[in-house]
Amino acid sequence: MLNYIQRHFDLQIGIASFLLALIGLVSVYSATYDARASDIFFKQLVWSGAGTIVVLTLTLFPFRLLQTISIPAWLFSLLLLVVVLLLGKTVSGSTSWFNLGSFRIQPSEFAKITTVLALASYLSRSDVSLRNPRDLMLATGIVLAPVALIMMQPDFGTAVIYGGMAFAIMYWGGASQFSLLAVVAPGAAAVAALFGTTPFLIVVAVMGVLIYLTKEHRLVAAVVFSIMVLVGISVQFIYDGLRPYQQKRIDTFLDPGADPLGAGYNILQSKVAIGSGGVFGKGYLHGSQTQLNFIPEQWTDFIFCVPGEEFGFMGAATVLLLFAVFLMRGVTLASKVKSKYASFVAIGLTATIATHVFINIGMALGLFPVIGVPLPFLSYGGSSLLSNAAMVGILMNLYTNRKEY
Amino acid sequence: MALQDDIQIYEKRRVLYVVIGLVFVIFLGRLFQLQMFYSDEYGKKSEENSIRVIPREPIRGYIYDRNGVRVVDNRPSFTVTVMPYEFDRRKLGFIARVLSLDTTFIRARIKQGEEYSRFAPVKIKRDIDFRELSVLEENRDRLPGVDYQVESKRWYVTPARASHILGYTKEISENQIRALGGEYTQGDVVGSSGLEGGYESSLRGRKGAEFSTVNVRGQVVGGFESGKLDVQAVDGKDLALTMDFGLQAFAESLMAGRRGAVVALDPRDGGVLAMVSSPDYDLSVFSGVTPPQIWRAMNSDAERPLFNRATLTRYPPGSTFKMVLAIAALETGKVTPQWRVNCGGSFRLGNKVFKDLHVHGSVDMLSAIQHSCNVYFYQLMLKTGLDEWAYYGRELGFGMLTGIDIAEENPGLLPSTAFMNRRYGPTGWTRGFLPSLGIGQGELGVTPLQMAAYAMVLANWGDYHQPHAVQGFRRRSDGKVDTLAFQSRRLSVAIPTWAIVREGMRRAVELPGGTGGLAKIKGIEVAGKTGTAQNPHGPDHAWFVGFAPFDDPRIAICVLVENAGFGGSHAAPVAGKCMERYLFGPQGATPPPKAIPRPAVTETAQQTPPMAGGE
Repeated sequence: MLNYIQRHFDLQIGIASFLLALIGLVSVYSATYDARASDIFFKQLVWSGAGTIVVLTLTLFPFRLLQTISIPAWLFSLLLLVVVLLLGKTVSGSTSWFNLGSFRIQPSEFAKITTVLALASYLSRSDVSLRNPRDLMLATGIVLAPVALIMMQPDFGTAVIYGGMAFAIMYWGGASQFSLLAVVAPGAAAVAALFGTTPFLIVVAVMGVLIYLTKEHRLVAAVVFSIMVLVGISVQFIYDGLRPYQQKRIDTFLDPGADPLGAGYNILQSKVAIGSGGVFGKGYLHGSQTQLNFIPEQWTDFIFCVPGEEFGFMGAATVLLLFAVFLMRGVTLASKVKSKYASFVAIGLTATIATHVFINIGMALGLFPVIGVPLPFLSYGGSSLLSNAAMVGILMNLYTNRKEY
Repeated sequence: MALQDDIQIYEKRRVLYVVIGLVFVIFLGRLFQLQMFYSDEYGKKSEENSIRVIPREPIRGYIYDRNGVRVVDNRPSFTVTVMPYEFDRRKLGFIARVLSLDTTFIRARIKQGEEYSRFAPVKIKRDIDFRELSVLEENRDRLPGVDYQVESKRWYVTPARASHILGYTKEISENQIRALGGEYTQGDVVGSSGLEGGYESSLRGRKGAEFSTVNVRGQVVGGFESGKLDVQAVDGKDLALTMDFGLQAFAESLMAGRRGAVVALDPRDGGVLAMVSSPDYDLSVFSGVTPPQIWRAMNSDAERPLFNRATLTRYPPGSTFKMVLAIAALETGKVTPQWRVNCGGSFRLGNKVFKDLHVHGSVDMLSAIQHSCNVYFYQLMLKTGLDEWAYYGRELGFGMLTGIDIAEENPGLLPSTAFMNRRYGPTGWTRGFLPSLGIGQGELGVTPLQMAAYAMVLANWGDYHQPHAVQGFRRRSDGKVDTLAFQSRRLSVAIPTWAIVREGMRRAVELPGGTGGLAKIKGIEVAGKTGTAQNPHGPDHAWFVGFAPFDDPRIAICVLVENAGFGGSHAAPVAGKCMERYLFGPQGATPPPKAIPRPAVTETAQQTPPMAGGE
């Protein structure tokens, strides 16, 4: 019996994500205990139930059909993104929600999945190669279309996630070191330019040497190099043209300490919460930081503090371990499946989850700047939970159909 | 992946395992560091003490007039705050009674604040009086979580009201918090109109923060990391205005009881000397808490005191607009200044008759401006053409924003062929629409500010300076002003053309039979033009634009008096008195400093034959 289940269902991914979601529910309950607990916790409970159904449905979904609907699904999610820009509801300065009764839906969460599917479907065609510049451009276009729409909302965090996902898929698909550099260089130059002239020059120099080392044709290399320099320089002009409050958001991103009442305060409180947890934590519902609501909206982006404070090193390390198991398994799956499409999907979804986890936990631990990205399976939020469930369902589906070409 | 080399895939898989593994090792290391090494330190902070941020409010920038007089000051005011976490809700009724507030209002405020943090004080009532303060102070021990903080509120120390140009500050609304981003929080005061709105980002300064440690009961037990993280509040910048508040107060007194606007500019740089919109309101009503009933009364007042007539109202300018047509006709070479029209008191085009007030006989351009002859300008408009007229209208700044440094401004309306085609369809309008436009009637809308800028350009022979009320930021250390740069452009209109229209305007005020005689000032030559704009809803609007002294203008002015009648009888005297007050000071006795003539300009003017005769 167990053998049969093991052969047909990916238990590592299933159990790891189930346990993470459970820890999430427990943490959301604690974070909202006494304030408006019932409401938020109850909603998360409902979403979790819906998520379970999504996982089961997608696990048993016909594999071929998944591949067939990949591109149409991507087009549909682009449409949703356009509609939300036109009709959506603005929450904390960003237009990214649909109202569905008392629940809200965020199309950019679902666009993440359809983009992975569409990219995988395109790259798995036998006549497509990432070494061919034309194909590489088209593949980039599949990623950039939703990113452009999401940046208009604007949602910086989600755009970063797409970057991590696209980079992993290109690496997996055998893109040359040069094209990987070409993707990374302008972004790196842009961020460095915001920090100042010296970091910008250092990044340009390093990237220049790396580009040179790839021995790419001189003309092509020169074009990529110039694009990088131009992007870096224009960032300064764009920054100067922004309104003061927009500039302030960027400043805070670069240096959270500059805004002690906002982002800087959250990081500080988050570190105190985790640090004070010690080895075994203060006990469930006894974390003073969590219970006294020192961290605003803790149940969303700063949920990692709850296990950190109330269950200490043991709790936080358990969460890390479960994520590590999940992600390692995702990579293994990508190398095991027979179909090229399935392999790309597996690596894309794994990279999407990984980017979320790295950014969110890095932020809670004070290692990364504050970017609004939820922690998969743990953070409160219906759209995020459902899209995570869909990813788990698809990954399990790939495992079930791993022998299919 | 079957289609790829297995070895390559395994190689990549190994790289990814290592990357993932490395990140988790770093995370675990960091957890270990925070939770094992520093856990005592953080534990102390958290279990007994926690960190709280106390915002420190900056002082809003002061405002000075052009003579260095402080016209907008700040006064301390006490604001009652409640910290949701500590507040004892049984005391709600008591607080509400003392502060004469509604309990539901207080409850809603606390709930709103709680969403952000239960530890951030919520402002309940601003600017409480001494009685309220002393009751709270007496009962302090019985009111946990209730506190007050000292804030500054605006204090106006000028005889002028200047309500529309200075603008008011108001407690920020939920929508504004959302629109302006993270800089503002509930209870903040934000500049909402006029200069307070236009220079909000400079005036407000930057909030500071003090970190202190509190125990579980929320009592402050000390600083945090010896204040290393504290951020000083940065006070707002002080504004130095171009405005003369003596003139402002004087102009306001002239406009009292009338509806309309006065805008005076310095023709040398576009600085606003005075800007009156009447009726106005008392700004100090807004400096503390504005009771809703006062808001409602102001908003529903039929006279609309909150509406800035100087920059927002849009009326046809009447005859004051005739110089636009004169410039267009001369510049496009359609006529010479000597071109004459015989005015028989009316003008017939097809079966339409356009009227004039008098029979002017044979007039040339100078006398047509001087006597404001409509028949001359009806025919001149037909000779010049709509688009030529509209082109010079735009050059003179009509139909677009002036770019003044307060937010509220109307671009007005300047029709062109394209506009008329859009509005009526290519066949829906005829030449019959043109004569009215030629005398500033019909589908033409201007603001008093645009008219003042037009007077400025006429005064200075063709330099359009962006109107502005702020010279720059005044340094606290030495009182010097770091000036701001504003835009200027030079119109491509020939000097002889300016000379003609300016001379016409001089004659309109200075010579007998001119329509603007009531704007005359003893001892100084004034140039101006009156206008009487027909108004389908009631009596005509009276307009006057002008400048003085004629040879070296230091003030350009526009006066609008709504529903008053003739511009010559109602607007011109107001303009004359304002210019006199500005040029001679309050006593009227001190003559202005000797004018320094602008050589190039005056020479050309004197060389042009038709006008020398008038002197």
